[in-house]
Amino acid sequence: MKRLQIAMESTTLANGLKVVIAPDSTAPVVTVGVYYKIGFRLEPPGRSGFAHLFEHMMFQGSANVPKMQHIKLINSSGGVLNGSTSYDVTNYYQAVPSNALERVLWLEADRMRALKVDDENLKNQRDVVKEEVRVNVMNQPYGGFPWLDMPPVAFRNWANAHNFYGDFADLDAADLTDVQAFFNTYYLPNNAVLLVLGDVKAAEGIVLAGKYFEGIPAGAAPQFADPTEPEQTEERHGFVEEKFGTLPAMAVGYLMPKRRTADWCAMALLDQALHGGRAGRLYRDLVLEKQIAVEADGGIDDVFGYNGPTQMTTRILHKPEFTNETALAAFDLVIREVLENGISADELEQLKVKWRSDYYATLEGGRGGYMPKYGLMHLLACFTLFDNEPQLVNTILEGFLNVTREEIQAVGRKYLRKEKRAIVLRNPVKAGSASGAHAKETA
Amino acid sequence: MASGTVEMATGAPELAAERAVTWPKRTKARLSNGLEVILAESHSIPKFHGELFFRSGNAAVADRTPGLAEMTATLVRTGTAKRVSRQIEEELRRLGADLSSNAGADTSALSFAGLSEFAAPLLEMVSEFAREAAFPDAEFERERRQKLEEVKLERTQPGFLASERLRRVLFGAHPYGQVSPSEAQVAAYKREDLQAVYRESYTPENALLLLVGDFDSQEMLKTGEKIFGAWRGKKPTAKTFAAPPNPRGRRVYLVHVPGAVQTQLLLGCHAITRQHPDWVRLGLTNSLYGGAFNSRLVMNIREDKGYTYSPRSGVSALREHGYFSVSAAVRNDVVAASLTEIFYEMDKLRSVPVSTAELADAQNYLSGVFSMGLATQDGLLSQLSTVALNELPDDYLETYRQRVRALRPEDLLATARKYLDSANMQIVVVGDRAQIEQQAMLFGEPEFYDVLGARV
Repeated sequence: MKRLQIAMESTTLANGLKVVIAPDSTAPVVTVGVYYKIGFRLEPPGRSGFAHLFEHMMFQGSANVPKMQHIKLINSSGGVLNGSTSYDVTNYYQAVPSNALERVLWLEADRMRALKVDDENLKNQRDVVKEEVRVNVMNQPYGGFPWLDMPPVAFRNWANAHNFYGDFADLDAADLTDVQAFFNTYYLPNNAVLLVLGDVKAAEGIVLAGKYFEGIPAGAAPQFADPTEPEQTEERHGFVEEKFGTLPAMAVGYLMPKRRTADWCAMALLDQALHGGRAGRLYRDLVLEKQIAVEADGGIDDVFGYNGPTQMTTRILHKPEFTNETALAAFDLVIREVLENGISADELEQLKVKWRSDYYATLEGGRGGYMPKYGLMHLLACFTLFDNEPQLVNTILEGFLNVTREEIQAVGRKYLRKEKRAIVLRNPVKAGSASGAHAKETA
Repeated sequence: MASGTVEMATGAPELAAERAVTWPKRTKARLSNGLEVILAESHSIPKFHGELFFRSGNAAVADRTPGLAEMTATLVRTGTAKRVSRQIEEELRRLGADLSSNAGADTSALSFAGLSEFAAPLLEMVSEFAREAAFPDAEFERERRQKLEEVKLERTQPGFLASERLRRVLFGAHPYGQVSPSEAQVAAYKREDLQAVYRESYTPENALLLLVGDFDSQEMLKTGEKIFGAWRGKKPTAKTFAAPPNPRGRRVYLVHVPGAVQTQLLLGCHAITRQHPDWVRLGLTNSLYGGAFNSRLVMNIREDKGYTYSPRSGVSALREHGYFSVSAAVRNDVVAASLTEIFYEMDKLRSVPVSTAELADAQNYLSGVFSMGLATQDGLLSQLSTVALNELPDDYLETYRQRVRALRPEDLLATARKYLDSANMQIVVVGDRAQIEQQAMLFGEPEFYDVLGARV
């Protein structure tokens, strides 16, 4: 078995900014990312969607870089860029020919030091974000299903339960004061990690990080709201109308262990046993064998990168001649089978090989093929911000490869319980669909 | 732009000296049975990526029924002479492999990736799919039913409805004119028809095997000969198709989606194939117009006006024809305003030469992004397949950047005038008719369609 070792060097600057350099001269390309330890989970109450709207504002201008110039300077250096907001982190990243490294560091440092935006910028990006929500959610079949539909059903703490893309009224209510306050609170060097990966020497990367970022003043350590959920003791249910789609849909989510606890590795492999593509038990049973479902997929989203209550979620689109109840009963049988009998030694071996193979793929690419080393950047960032241990990238695999059959069965029995899950139905509103009395049972 | 002057950044570091871009050596061979093989080593991770292409896709069999090659590809991985579906899926997992099989207009392909330590057994499986697919009855019935649900579902996606209409308008009865089969056509698929497509298309003389990754090329070539060498089969006879229509004048096609809360715009006109000598200059013109974040269109209708999240232009190259298109999903009340800006930016590029500074920026962008393919195994594979399938010159990758950089403002002006065919742009508008009809009519006499594609 060939093992992959990632060379890296890390340090913390005097202002608290963590820095990780991972040199690799395969291609004359360097990927630079800055991760801030704030996502949409802990955005301000009454300001749903704000963390994401704020992410857009980070491209609208900083002290020495007027609106549009960050994008222009990256593109005209031969590079690509983007940012994204997730539950617990927000990232900004670019891949550029390595001769643009200093330019990129300067740009990221400028917007970490001082945002410079006005009302016109905010109005503009509020409009852009609304069209983003329409194109991805409101004007699409099954838009936002289940990632936006599940949280309000599954969770009780606002942090985990609110609309992460944002209610439009909340987006409209956000003003420049909110923008500046959010920046001042969370966008601090001591709440961030800088990552430089690819065509750079380790020592050079550390020196350049100091050159551009050292002078940015640290701020008071952010006080984070508590995302803890009250203990769940009953199965939870929700219903959402599907406006465009033709098939009944269902999502089932189970609360997961905290990441990097003893149960976490076994649960991740059990997730793969259930959801791992066409060989996964759910797809095999519901789509290939019983042929109740047209789609059955899902899993633990961003298994290395969550830092609060998280579910393993299965998403099922099923044929209209079956009821939701029939589809759920078939789903339950798959779960019961694994709880009663566990998985075979052979299945576990397959899962481990596939896990290792997928892990390598994540390290190399991991984002649509256009952003080299996105996956490695993301892992290094999460291991730094949450664990203060970027070297985990080279050792974390062991824990998954050592999981036993007994552990898998045990975590199944512990976490895949009805009183720890939530179910959301999203059935078409159109006539002729399967919802309610029109459903015909053939199974 | 409405905001007038654009401020520049102050103090941004200059670019350092450019590092050379070295594309890896390609090993090309033709096996004894006629199978063309291209290998490139990339040792970044202990994996490899591959594709087995067949130079026949849906177009080649469109005279029988649309989507037939796609359905054939779907079935290929569901059963072979040696294994049933469940064994196939478990064996792939045992090898740490991902595999998909699909077909586009011009090619069918098995795409795969796996651990280099299991390269030979994965290639054995690929060979099995290419030579011994069994098309089990039950699998066929299930996949046909799946496909029926898929074709219903895609009619609820604005992006699909827009591209379906544009392709029909630009290509008419040519096979490129129908992007997806109807429900009735899927219902009429027969297992025997798929097997016939398989027999004709999945042959070594019609195939190209591309492998990129962590292996020794000479060893891999021997492995390839051992696994694929005994496979036999002729190249299918090439088909010819009638010329597509050439729509003149701006026309508007409104696809009515009741209750749509946004409008999907898609404009397009005929352009060129990858082999055309103007390809690189059209690529540069496109990246300047709407092909990059920093492009004029994105800066105008997103960053200045906030009409849309994701405006984009692109050049789509099929084997026989190509087309230029512009897309944006916009707020319902700015359909006319967005179209006005889309045409404004097009006409501006057709009228005023770009400055040398803007040109240099776009040249840097295009050549930089092109080289990013080097950084990953699948990125490299994608570049190599583009060169091979389009029969581009061997030094295409090595000379691309210098060809981009040789272009001048007058080249772009001529290219925009030739291909950003503003006067003959076909305009597809997908949304709620009551909210957008008046706005759309300002750009041409509209034809109306329902979501099933019928004219109303």
